[in-house]
Amino acid sequence: MQPIPIIASVLIALSVGSNDTSNALGICIGCRIISFRRAVILFGVFVLIGILLQGRKVMKTVGKDIVEMDLRILGISLLVSAMLIIISNWKRLPVSTHQVIIGSLTGSGTALGADVNYGSLFEIFLSWALSPLAAFFASIMLYRAMEKTLSKLPFLQIERIIRVLLLASGIIIAYTTGANELATILGPIIHAGLIDETWAFLGGSFLVFLGAVLLSNRIIETIGSGITALDPYSGFAAQFGAGCCVFLFTSLGMPISTTYCIIGGITGVGMLKGTGTVSVNLLKKIALSWILAPTLAFLTCFIVIRTLT
Amino acid sequence: MLKELFLGGKKELEVVDKMKKHMGFLCSACTTLKAAIENRDKELISSVSDLEREGDIVRREIFSNIYEGAFLPFLRPNICRFVEIVDNALDVTKDAAIEYTDLELDEETKEDCARIADISAKMCEMLLAAIETLSGRADLREKSLAIRIYEKKVDEIEFDLLKRLRTKEIKNFWEGKALSDFIHDLTSISDLIEDASDYLQIINISLR
Repeated sequence: MQPIPIIASVLIALSVGSNDTSNALGICIGCRIISFRRAVILFGVFVLIGILLQGRKVMKTVGKDIVEMDLRILGISLLVSAMLIIISNWKRLPVSTHQVIIGSLTGSGTALGADVNYGSLFEIFLSWALSPLAAFFASIMLYRAMEKTLSKLPFLQIERIIRVLLLASGIIIAYTTGANELATILGPIIHAGLIDETWAFLGGSFLVFLGAVLLSNRIIETIGSGITALDPYSGFAAQFGAGCCVFLFTSLGMPISTTYCIIGGITGVGMLKGTGTVSVNLLKKIALSWILAPTLAFLTCFIVIRTLT
Repeated sequence: MLKELFLGGKKELEVVDKMKKHMGFLCSACTTLKAAIENRDKELISSVSDLEREGDIVRREIFSNIYEGAFLPFLRPNICRFVEIVDNALDVTKDAAIEYTDLELDEETKEDCARIADISAKMCEMLLAAIETLSGRADLREKSLAIRIYEKKVDEIEFDLLKRLRTKEIKNFWEGKALSDFIHDLTSISDLIEDASDYLQIINISLR
């Protein structure tokens, strides 16, 4: 049973590397602000810095505070999470790694009658609900601030500054991928004592980096070709607003989704330009996925464990 | 490094410099066309063609710089469109110059055509100043407004000119066609400069 959680964590870390590099630096690569090789190295470095500096709080929340961990809970939860994440990536369905892992841990814990900390769980749910809203308002404020300051500069200066800012927001997202996303994956196995913390940090960051090197190219190409239609001003406000928001919640030890925060940010900037620019149907689908992902993970783990025992 | 960071990258400045150079060729072509109309100088007409050729070279260099990564992808289509419009203006200036070679204009028509070419040259200078606002703090809207006013003047001259020409007897089809083509190309220069100015405005506001 012992290697199963580690193998599952390896798969999830690789998947995070393949998907989240585009979240962080896809725009910069598409805009040729930075080459793919440099972007991936930068991403790997900041993921490692993120987990080293701020990963412990989120690791404690996921690995210690939600459920009384044992090897069965850990093995089934991470295995089911890995499978759900890989299937959703394969089918191109957007799911949050955090929601799947936390849903799985809670489902396994409930099925085995373990002590589930509902207070902690409530705080996490609250963070999931509040973080996109916080990103929504952060992006609006950022956009307004940019309109009042940056817009007054000459065109060439704005273009240059936006390049630098896009790189900075990409770095923040890379940092929070380490401090929040990777911490969510490593928290359970570190707190279960399956692996030494230092090795987990180094190995986890390397796996995320490996996922970025081997698997992110295609996703980044899609984003790179798609961003020509993106307005870099709004893109930066949404990404940076989301990055700051994830940073804030990471400081509070809350495992939240970068993707949902970016969606919150984009919606905020979209609302500024008129409600007509925001696709309500798409938001409904995202909200549905927000509810379905942890529910599905919970039920799958619950059913698997009840069937096995 | 700080200078590059806050005053614009090397590639972008290079493109803006080349856009100015390209625009400079259009200014020279319009001024040369005006002098050619006033003096009926065939050598000047051939130098308009030379300017158009040089403009083509600069246009290719700009596209190549943009392909190498100058400017955010979001801005590139509008910058390329701007350069294409300026290049079209150079093409019609050359066409007008070539058509003028075989034309015999009366004094009044010649004066009107020279005025149109002169206004077009002034519009070019205004557009050149507008390009410079991309790296400075001057107001682009003022330049665009001036260009629109100049264009309106050209339209008025064209209207009167065509009204007068319609009363004149044309000896044969080809003479009439050559005159019509010449007037059409000459007045198209200002239309294209106005279009280019609109694109410059779009480029400028797209990052604000």
